[in-house]
Amino acid sequence: MQELPRSLNFRMPADASPLGFRQKPAKVLLEVEGLARRFTDGDAAAVERVSFTMGEGELLALLGPSGCGKTTTLRMIGGFETPDAGTIRLRGRDITHLPPEKRGIGFVFQDYALFPHLDVLENVKFGLRGMSRAPAEARAREMLRLVGLEQLAERKPHELSGGQQQRVALARTLAVAPPLVLLDEPFSNLDAAMRVETRQEVRGLLKKAGSAAILVTHDQEEALALADRVAVMEAGRVVQIGTPDEIYRNPASRFVASFIGRSNILQGTADGMDADTPFGRLPLSRAANGAVTLAVRPEQIMLEPDPAGPAAVVGREYRGHDQLYWVQEGESCMLVISGPGAQIPVGARVRLRICDCVTPVN
Amino acid sequence: MSVIDSIPGRRISAARVVFSALGLGIGALMLLPIWYLLLRAFQADFATVWALLTRPRTGQLLLNTAALTAGVLALSTAIALPLAWLVSRTDLPGRRVLNVLAVLPLAVPGYVMAYALIGLAGNYGFLNQTLGFTLPRPQGLWGATLALSLYTFPYLYLNLRAAFSGLDQSLEESARSLGCSPREVFIRVTLPHLMPALMAGWLVIGLYTIGDFGAVALMRFEAFSFVIYQQYTAAFDRLYAAWLALILIAIALSFVWWESRLREGASFARTGSGSGSGRRLVRLGAAGHIAGWGFAGAVVAASIGLPLAVLTFWMTRSALGPVLPALFESFGQSLSVAVPAAMLAAVMALPVAVLAVRYPSRLSTLINRLAFVGYAVPALAFALAFVFFSLQGARFLYQTHTLLITAYALSFLALALGPIRSALYQARPSVEESARALGHGPISVFARVTLPTIRPGVVAGMVLVFVIAMKELPIAFLLAPTGFRPLAITMFSRTSEGMLLEAAPYAAAIIAFSALFVGFVLRHDRRAGG
Amino acid sequence: MKLLRTTVAALAALAATPLTAQELTLYSGRGETLVAPIIETFTAETGIDVRVRYGGTAELAILLQEEGERSPADLFWAQDVAALGTIKPMFAQLPDETLDKVQSIYRDAEGRWIGTSGRSRLMIYSPERVEEEELPASMAELTDERFNGRLAVAPTNGSFVAHVAALRVAEGDEFTLEWLQGLAGNDPVMVSNNTAGYQAIADGEADFMLTNNYYLGRFLANDPDFPVAQALFDDGDLGNLMMTAGIGVLETSDQQEAAVAFIDFLLGDVAQQYFTGNVYEFPVSGAGIVPHAGMGVSFAQASEAAPEFDLNLIVDMEGTLDLIREAGLI
Repeated sequence: MQELPRSLNFRMPADASPLGFRQKPAKVLLEVEGLARRFTDGDAAAVERVSFTMGEGELLALLGPSGCGKTTTLRMIGGFETPDAGTIRLRGRDITHLPPEKRGIGFVFQDYALFPHLDVLENVKFGLRGMSRAPAEARAREMLRLVGLEQLAERKPHELSGGQQQRVALARTLAVAPPLVLLDEPFSNLDAAMRVETRQEVRGLLKKAGSAAILVTHDQEEALALADRVAVMEAGRVVQIGTPDEIYRNPASRFVASFIGRSNILQGTADGMDADTPFGRLPLSRAANGAVTLAVRPEQIMLEPDPAGPAAVVGREYRGHDQLYWVQEGESCMLVISGPGAQIPVGARVRLRICDCVTPVN
Repeated sequence: MSVIDSIPGRRISAARVVFSALGLGIGALMLLPIWYLLLRAFQADFATVWALLTRPRTGQLLLNTAALTAGVLALSTAIALPLAWLVSRTDLPGRRVLNVLAVLPLAVPGYVMAYALIGLAGNYGFLNQTLGFTLPRPQGLWGATLALSLYTFPYLYLNLRAAFSGLDQSLEESARSLGCSPREVFIRVTLPHLMPALMAGWLVIGLYTIGDFGAVALMRFEAFSFVIYQQYTAAFDRLYAAWLALILIAIALSFVWWESRLREGASFARTGSGSGSGRRLVRLGAAGHIAGWGFAGAVVAASIGLPLAVLTFWMTRSALGPVLPALFESFGQSLSVAVPAAMLAAVMALPVAVLAVRYPSRLSTLINRLAFVGYAVPALAFALAFVFFSLQGARFLYQTHTLLITAYALSFLALALGPIRSALYQARPSVEESARALGHGPISVFARVTLPTIRPGVVAGMVLVFVIAMKELPIAFLLAPTGFRPLAITMFSRTSEGMLLEAAPYAAAIIAFSALFVGFVLRHDRRAGG
Repeated sequence: MKLLRTTVAALAALAATPLTAQELTLYSGRGETLVAPIIETFTAETGIDVRVRYGGTAELAILLQEEGERSPADLFWAQDVAALGTIKPMFAQLPDETLDKVQSIYRDAEGRWIGTSGRSRLMIYSPERVEEEELPASMAELTDERFNGRLAVAPTNGSFVAHVAALRVAEGDEFTLEWLQGLAGNDPVMVSNNTAGYQAIADGEADFMLTNNYYLGRFLANDPDFPVAQALFDDGDLGNLMMTAGIGVLETSDQQEAAVAFIDFLLGDVAQQYFTGNVYEFPVSGAGIVPHAGMGVSFAQASEAAPEFDLNLIVDMEGTLDLIREAGLI
């Protein structure tokens, strides 16, 4: 996959689709087309015409707030929900109506779902059904070694920590070498410190095993850190799909802009690749015309102390590696992130300058 | 090391000493009659005992009891497992109604169920009189199995339904994603998870079955307890009865031991700390709904419809008016034992519960185990032990209300203990401690603070014992004071004499009372978040 | 605390069983439905309350022996003479004027118990499933293979036990055991008492039963079409044994007078007419007792067919039960 250039004034080609179908991976693994599911009893989120493709070995994050349908989508791919419409193809084969056990897709549940009546080794061996005893045992031990738990093979699941349980669940799934692994909120049961550590481990394990994976999460930081591509879902639809960088830098909508990272929202009047805003004429990341809503990331704004400046600092939070400023200019209050160096006191007059192209999001 | 694990330099509270003494007294009371049963059994010389025990008949009795237990466990499982699955895992319409209907058969005790099955067949039976054909009289192994299964399956149903709700469905889905077919998932994942519930239910039903006397006697099936009764009442030598009772107790205790062993050896708790996934119901479709209700309907018709229909039939065949005085007298006699038994059981359960909750130690564990002896020992054997105890050790108690009430209280102590103990667990010790800080002694605190707090639990325990004692049969049979004719005995005697018509009002009264018990179980079940 | 106080009060109240001066304690081996009405009549006439402990005749006999001197019972009313013979050492001598009310064959030779009503042992059968020629000539035939699966037996019933005891006296233990084993070998339907036996034949579970005569009348009174018939064995066969229910006063009773009054009442015309007319038994005393008609075998028929047998010889209930147990019937 091609890394996007990180130049300050990068502009997306005008013909680029905001849904990121621009570059298809060389070898398609999974094609999801027009997937829909409606619930009458209302206890699960509905999904409306979700489509995407992913390549072999790719890590895709399904990101969205709770109730957006991401877990339902995942369960339809896994075979635990029957779609009302749409098709799912794995390596070109239509698996839409296959039972879960015939799909060859691994599933790691939010609560890991380790079998409490079996020990760790037996859990990992559970899916190795075609194999005779000795090779199955060897394979299970190999998987445990891979996740670094070979010394805990005889423990019962309840004797393990959350992170260990998760690694066992992953080992159990990867033992059968599925081309695709589905992970439902895999880190939500871990504490914050464990989460950061574990997610790189999981990414490494998946890459080592060569399995593609779809990860469902509501944590944008997790999605951006872990996935090769991120699909953002809102109210049952995929609203944007792309690399973490694309999603972050070129949010397709106001929703994406505010759900992924923080954004300041400006009103302006666009005119092709530029727009007039309260902060002057700014370059746009994609063409627009007429009245536009623009998203500006806090780190795209420069803060300059200026006793005659039009804005004033109304709040400040020192965070060590950077600082947050809330700055009032006229009607709007802007969030600005700046380096830890110069510290500007609350009440000081400042001038704001936007130093990058901004994204129209309406 | 003393059993009370005292810490050097730390004062053992007076309350703890008092409660421990009371608890030990209750435990001793529980064992005393059984001690007399042993004494009586070992009075005989070895040769006689050996001759008695090696009779082919003893082996036949063992086989009969084993066959009956296996039959009841199998049939009640075949009824309860699909019902629990339908109610908790499918979208079957009317699941709430079915849930109530599935527990309702508890209101029809085994001997009343046997009465219903017997009243169905025969020359004067329901079928011959209303539809003009007769079925063979249900009897023997299959008759007893049917009567006991139709009555006991709700115990298993309640356990299984709770287990189904507690089963994390992602476990089953994990197994599917690892390549298991639904049938394999059931065997490799669901069934192991249901095992504790199955075993707990089987224990209750197994103990009930080997201890049951009414249904097997009416069905003329020569299981242990029926023959113990027969030997006790008809044969000169009580030795054989005593030995049969000892064997029965040994079987019961081995059930309990195996169940606890199996449970210790396995862990079934859900491990994930997450919320698990939401309930997802199996969509049965129209055909599935018809099949589901077909099955449920058959179970409900057999377990509730049948007794009610047969009973109604017999009730309408004679005027109720002339029977009423005798019925009320019988009812009054049942009350005169059930009410004090309930109160005594609660009084006994209090110190045992307090020990378990407030002063946990090896001693309190021992006392709490002893409190369950009366529940585990089959009622007929327990009653026989009391007969020997009162004849040899306490003649003044023989055939008195006091002895019957005490036997009831000890036999049902475990039932009273449950709600009282949970109420105590919920009452915060800090409230008691602040009363202490305000200058009250431990006894005063118990009376003025603890007891009022746990009153709902105490009342619940008493209600449970009360309704059970109202319909109890074997203990009443052996320990009845002269002239004591409670509902259960009257109903049973008349049924066993073939006087189904005369038995009907008593059976109806028992069902009405047991319905209270069921209502209580359902309420408790709902509160427990079932 | 209130709860505790209530409990203690209730327990204390119940522990003290009420005692009134004129109250008799009766152990009755006769069924409640048979005798409760006549006991109520006695209480109504004399004002003496009777507390009754109902149970099997053998059961109560054993109970009396276990209780020994401390038995609360004043009277023991048994279904059959074997139990009376067993308890005889515990009974008090009855006054002559009471004993004289019945013929000597209906009472204990030493005057410790007395018969209250007579009944005949005989065969009952299903007229729907049994041909006349199938009926056995002697009770000894019941071990025949042709009765396999067609018999009902109430092995714990007092009359059955007494009848077996009589067979021991007549034919010896060896013959009796063989006969019992023959019965057991015919795979009989085991019933708990005679009523259940009649019911079993009506319900089609069994075709024959050796039992007492008087139950049929009660069934016929309720349903003239009751599908059970009676037959006597050949004249003089032990199967037609005429027996009595009987009663005695416990020596340990401190109410001898009231107890004897109860017995006198049972031998009086009111009670005898009740036994004859309502229970369909045979009277043992009194004049002008109206016999029942059309309710099975009559007193005259039964007397004619009855064997010569001294009921006083039936004493060993314990040994008889041992034989029944050895044969595997209980």
